[in-house]
Amino acid sequence: MDQDAFETIEDIDGVRFTWNAFPRTKIEAARCCVPIACIYTPLKQRENLAIIQEDPMICRACKAIFNPFVTVQAQHWICSFCATLNVLLPHYQNQIPYQASGDCTTIEYVLSKRVSSPPAYVYLVDTSLEAQELESLKESILNSFQLLPKYALVSLITFGRNVNVHELEDGLAHNYYTFNGSKTYDLTSIQRSLGLLSRDLRRKDASESVGGRFLKPLGVCEFSLSEVVQSLKPDVWPKGKFQRSLRATGAALDVALHFMDTCLGKTGAHLMLFAGGPCTLGPGIVVGSELKEPIRSHYEIQNGSAKHYKKSLKHYAALAKRATSQCHSVDVFAASYDQIGLSEMELLVDQTGGALVLTDAFSTAIFKQSFQRFLQLPMGINGTLEVKTSFDLKINGLVGHAISLERKAKNVSDTEIGRGKTDAWKLCNLLPQSSFGIYFEMPATNSSQTTTKPRSLIQFITYYQEIGGTLRLKVTTLAKPILQQSQESLIAEYFDQEAAVVLISRQMIDKMVKDNSTEVIRELDKILVELCKKFGSYQKNDLQSFRLGAKFSLFPQFLYHLRRSQFMQVFNNSPDETTFYRHSILTEDTFNSLIMIQPTLTAYEINQEPQPIFLDSMSITADRILLLDTFFQIVIYHGETIVQWREAKYQEQEEFAYLKDFFQLPREDAADLLIDRFPLPRFIDCDAGGSQARFLLSKVNPTTSYKDNQMASASQSGGAIVGSDDVSLQSFMEHVQMVVVKSV
Amino acid sequence: SQQQGYINPGAGLGVPPTQAAGPYGVPAAVAPQQQSAQLGYAGPPYGNTYDQQQPQQAAFPFNQLYTADLLKELPPPISDLELPPPPIVLPQGASLTGKPESNASPEYFRCTLNVIPNNNSLLKKSKLPLAVVVNPYQCLRDEDEPVPVVEDTLISRCRRCRSYINPLITFVDRNTKWRCNLCNLTNDVPSGFDFDKDTQQRVDRMARVELNYSVVEFVAPKEYMVRLPQPLVYLFVLDVSTHAIQNGYLATVARTILDSLDQIPNKDGRARVGFIGVDSSLHFFTIPQDSEDENDAQETSMLVVSDLDDVIVPAAENLLAPLQQSRQNIENLLNNFHSYFENNVNPNFALGPALKAGHRLINNIGGKMIVFTSTLPNKGIGALSIRDEEAHSGKAKESSALLSPNDSFYKSFAVECNKSQVTVDMFLASSSYQDVATLSNLPRYTAGQTHFYPAWTAAREEDITKLSKEISNHLSMNINLEAVLRVRGSAGLRMNAFYGNFFNRSSDLCSFPTFPRDQSYLIEISIDEHITKPLAAFQAAVLHTTSFGERRIRVMTLEVPIGKELNQIYASADQLAITNYFTHKAVEKALSSSLIDAREYLNRSLLDIFQVFKKELVAGNLGSSSPLQLCNNLKMLPLLLHSLTKYIAFRPGKVPSDHRAYALNLLASSPIQRLIKFIYPTIYSLHDMADECGLPEELEETYVNEAGEEVTEPIDGDIVLPEPINDTSTLLAPYGLYLIDSGTDLFLYVGGESVPQLLLDVFGVDNPGYIKYGKSELPELNNEFNERLRNVINRVREGKDRITYQNLQIVIGQSKQRTGVPDRIQEDLTPLRLWCFSHLVEDRVGGGTAYREYLNQIREKLSS
Ligand SMILES: [Zn+2]
Ligand SMILES: [Zn+2]
Repeated sequence: MDQDAFETIEDIDGVRFTWNAFPRTKIEAARCCVPIACIYTPLKQRENLAIIQEDPMICRACKAIFNPFVTVQAQHWICSFCATLNVLLPHYQNQIPYQASGDCTTIEYVLSKRVSSPPAYVYLVDTSLEAQELESLKESILNSFQLLPKYALVSLITFGRNVNVHELEDGLAHNYYTFNGSKTYDLTSIQRSLGLLSRDLRRKDASESVGGRFLKPLGVCEFSLSEVVQSLKPDVWPKGKFQRSLRATGAALDVALHFMDTCLGKTGAHLMLFAGGPCTLGPGIVVGSELKEPIRSHYEIQNGSAKHYKKSLKHYAALAKRATSQCHSVDVFAASYDQIGLSEMELLVDQTGGALVLTDAFSTAIFKQSFQRFLQLPMGINGTLEVKTSFDLKINGLVGHAISLERKAKNVSDTEIGRGKTDAWKLCNLLPQSSFGIYFEMPATNSSQTTTKPRSLIQFITYYQEIGGTLRLKVTTLAKPILQQSQESLIAEYFDQEAAVVLISRQMIDKMVKDNSTEVIRELDKILVELCKKFGSYQKNDLQSFRLGAKFSLFPQFLYHLRRSQFMQVFNNSPDETTFYRHSILTEDTFNSLIMIQPTLTAYEINQEPQPIFLDSMSITADRILLLDTFFQIVIYHGETIVQWREAKYQEQEEFAYLKDFFQLPREDAADLLIDRFPLPRFIDCDAGGSQARFLLSKVNPTTSYKDNQMASASQSGGAIVGSDDVSLQSFMEHVQMVVVKSV
Repeated sequence: SQQQGYINPGAGLGVPPTQAAGPYGVPAAVAPQQQSAQLGYAGPPYGNTYDQQQPQQAAFPFNQLYTADLLKELPPPISDLELPPPPIVLPQGASLTGKPESNASPEYFRCTLNVIPNNNSLLKKSKLPLAVVVNPYQCLRDEDEPVPVVEDTLISRCRRCRSYINPLITFVDRNTKWRCNLCNLTNDVPSGFDFDKDTQQRVDRMARVELNYSVVEFVAPKEYMVRLPQPLVYLFVLDVSTHAIQNGYLATVARTILDSLDQIPNKDGRARVGFIGVDSSLHFFTIPQDSEDENDAQETSMLVVSDLDDVIVPAAENLLAPLQQSRQNIENLLNNFHSYFENNVNPNFALGPALKAGHRLINNIGGKMIVFTSTLPNKGIGALSIRDEEAHSGKAKESSALLSPNDSFYKSFAVECNKSQVTVDMFLASSSYQDVATLSNLPRYTAGQTHFYPAWTAAREEDITKLSKEISNHLSMNINLEAVLRVRGSAGLRMNAFYGNFFNRSSDLCSFPTFPRDQSYLIEISIDEHITKPLAAFQAAVLHTTSFGERRIRVMTLEVPIGKELNQIYASADQLAITNYFTHKAVEKALSSSLIDAREYLNRSLLDIFQVFKKELVAGNLGSSSPLQLCNNLKMLPLLLHSLTKYIAFRPGKVPSDHRAYALNLLASSPIQRLIKFIYPTIYSLHDMADECGLPEELEETYVNEAGEEVTEPIDGDIVLPEPINDTSTLLAPYGLYLIDSGTDLFLYVGGESVPQLLLDVFGVDNPGYIKYGKSELPELNNEFNERLRNVINRVREGKDRITYQNLQIVIGQSKQRTGVPDRIQEDLTPLRLWCFSHLVEDRVGGGTAYREYLNQIREKLSS
């Protein structure tokens, strides 16, 4: 199978496997160095998706969904997973159901059950901002009302030093309920305060729903909500010259989630946090209000000297637990030159599947457009993902923005990768690109059940509430061949190196987040060395003899770039940025993840078609314009000669008019890249020698600085350690090869 | 027709004239004041100026002691209550100018003893108290009270005792220095006293105000400011619970505040107001500034805070709105205030948290928190519970069970408020128990005041009238800010104990976050050493910031001669100031010990004085008919102290504890004039008042017109009041009409056998059964008598020195003839009559003895 075949499967089913055929046993799988795993994108947008307006047929024994691999016999169907005989629905008894056709490996059902509540959006707005920033934010919020369906429920909570829950009623005055930003409240005290318990002492209309004063369909309250938003003013408490603004983000999230518990319990809702700075008081504090106290760094977090870190981490973790239990997602729009405490909030956003946008200010295009785009994404809320496998395949776990539903099933392995020990996960929110890494293992050899079956079956069942208000069930069913005893050597043919690097990076990032592990670089090196040993060809002790097959050719450089990426290295990034990057890669599909790991570089030269080139310092030449896409940044870089041309204004002379188009082309291509991307990347237009050029220089392989003697550090114990962080790809590879060919 | 009054019902009306006759019933053939003038002090005449003193008299022409036999002067000559205290007789040269204004007048600053004993044992022996009464303000508003002001910020003070230069110092060393009249130190005279640097002119130092007047106000220079003058802040804390909705209190209060916005002193345009609505949550309001541009107009917002444990200020801005710049929005808010809460059924009232939040809101500025409530605080810190009145009222433990604070929060919080320049005023208007005893602690320690409107309801117009007038007066008062009062005494005299609504911060410094203008203070003085000087001096200074942001010091200086003899002391004792002293002491006893102790204390103190007088000051035995003697200037003291034991604050028996506590509070904070009225109510006989009564006094005014001629024109003076009669039912004729002024209420008592013409003229009905009795107003009728009557009532009600407005209670007396008043009404009237008659303090009221009996008891005790 070639790479195109993998992508075809991805286009149809939204799934990419590391191995597209499985080894027979656990031991054989272990020898393959890269685990059996896949990246699945449940809401992958595609044309010609089969959408069926009925409830699916479900196996009465194993609850698997009817699929193309079942056997249909007269009025029955035999489950492809457990071989149970099920009765076909009456109207299928005279014809083969459409769902059985081979096109329907992925299919979506529109369920007959109705949604209990429309989607809800709770705006949690930081008002501890400079006036101009708040104005920008207000403008974006006001515009957002045009993007939401009128039936969507909306609510407004603002915070600065205190937390204010706003009434959305046409009344004499604009009323809001205020909570102390330096406190933690329990649910009942919030309910009592807001009059959300059974008897609201000030409620005028007894028929009004609980919380109806604060939460209304947009169509009903748009006017009063707009008025309230317009009237928001910066929350400016008198502060000293050397003090940060008071901002009770932690308490605000606490209050908001309690509010949502009461008014939107288990119905799926977005809590959208707009934060313009760090939390400076109360629960979840990131940094104190005195400016002389610096905001925590990676170093301080790692050595345990970050003053508030552990306590705040706990606070947000507790909030995450509450949010996920109600299936509420928390989206964070951070707009600050300073950190806002994303590192502390990581779990809250990750586990709830929220979106994360990190920008410098609410007045930036990145924020404005990302927020707009976010509301227009065809999202799913209140979802679950369930994985069925034929009994020869066990589930290790899932890495992605989900939490375990802790459902023990027969096909669940004891070995855990990511969130394991379950065959189902809760997905509070699903973006169209939300992707999940799912890890599998084959049974042990000593099992008497050792299969002789030719294939493994896997079914992904995603249940979610579509934004339009219907309940959906998306089912993807796949069959993967199991290589029989004689075919073992063929496995290399089924290797998808792109999926492999993405799934390995997910696995490692999960480890780092979970245990703050620093050992992952060693592990990456070990995987690479073992893989080269198994799938490379070489003669012992002959460095030059080393060869890798086409299926593996890119894998070493992917790993090289992964090793030095912001996902593995925290140097030069703040804790908040690290969180943002990790959150993003754990959200995206294979294609985008790969761009993050190894950015793409395109060269533009006179009289030539633009072409992708090596991400290497050698590629940077004076007569080129380069377009670098790191997913987070799009950099257009002009070589010295190009800059000279432009500054001499050649493009304005008639004979060089074509230069205009030449200069314009990379910009047009960059614009194309931006179209689907969320959040909006940062666009950087720079010239050789300019300070912005560092964005490009930091990503390329430093060939030109390569020196032989840099390879001095050789393998020590175990021999798996390769080089140092600053080595070039060439010296890294030589090092790997050396370890491989010299090993016993 | 010339009315002769109503004492003669006239022939044919069936009321024989003799019935009107009785010991006191005869119309004033001899006016009481004439009697007292005849019997009065024969010593140096009252009102004598020092200039007129005979130079050849001894250096210390003490007042002479005149003895009166109290039993012979019954009924007591109550016009004495109007007299000034025995004059302070200073030797010539004691003051710089010799003018009467050189020494403080008793309205502002008086001493219980206008001759002070020269040592402590003489004081102890006298059994008379030594205290000064400080009453720095006489009127609510500046314009009514002209006190001369020293404008040039040139303030000369004694280097040692820090007292202010005053008319009673002496210039020495060829007038280059001045000798302090308090500590005797000589100080330099500032050159500015004689030479004006600005104009480069010599000036006459004797033109300086502070050398001519003993009550003056200095404009202070910057050094007297702890911080820049703060704006005046009124934070209204309003009960919005269901009680205050149901009885209409919230609506009335909001309306009245709205109507009174112009009254709030705002000369400097900096006054700010804020509002907190309170039930089980706190409702704050952000009031933006008015905007010319309607599109740009900001909205008023209501912010609800329900977390009562750790209250917060919910917004950074606009919770306190500048009255001038936000006037329209404030008015809008007050117009709507009631409608925000009209459906509220929340019965809770979190006063403590509201106060804490309010304090947090204004504590860096200071100001007044004015609380309006109809509900017993029942939520959060300071929640109170109903106390067992049934078990304790009128019993030995009443004080500790009902009158002492039920929660320590109130005092400690009040002290905290005082420190941050915050005053708390209470306007209590519930139909049920409110625990005045506890709540009154807030005003007590913050220089505020407790106002009490039992059973208030907006359904009664009279209740609305009283409340609105009082709120309006309260808001219009020119309060001062960040004030401290310090009283200094000359060598040997020490300020020992302090009474009144304030917090005593250090040994002699009383702290007032805001200084009210309707209260008075008493300071007890001890004599620490033998005083050899002939004169003692006191100086009271109130350092304050005016409501228009000027730092000032009001200084009052009082000089009193020293005496070595008991008779000198007694002859110059001030019976009203002494009553003031004993009242404070009795209140203290009532709160710290028991009501019985308080009454016994009053009785014993009086007996002690009689004993001293008899033993030490009565020359020889005056024969077999043993008289009850006391000096003439103290002969009202027994009446006052005895009446005090019958006042609702001390009266034995069951009294609702809220009323009791309120009365105790009034006694402990009111200036002397009002205090005396509480103790001994004033009764005017109206049916037989003289023709000039009820009409303006005819005065003449002379001025020079444009042509330079001197013109004299008649002008109207104040309404003439009838002479008061004694507080005894024996003086109330069954056909008469009387007005009883208790200081807190007015009773219009109409005899049950009044003639129909009187009823017609007064009430417009000819039968007592048709009179609208109880809390009411007199109808406006088109006859002269009705108009004069209303004039009298209005005159009694008006007062530039108080915020209170007295309701009129119409009481119909009993009738033997059973004319008109049906039984049903009779029943209704019984409690009203009892209440009315409880003011007849010379009678046996409240379980006590009649005054005559009391005097007889004392005489017996003295002779035994
Ligand atoms: Zn099955
Ligand atoms: Zn002195």
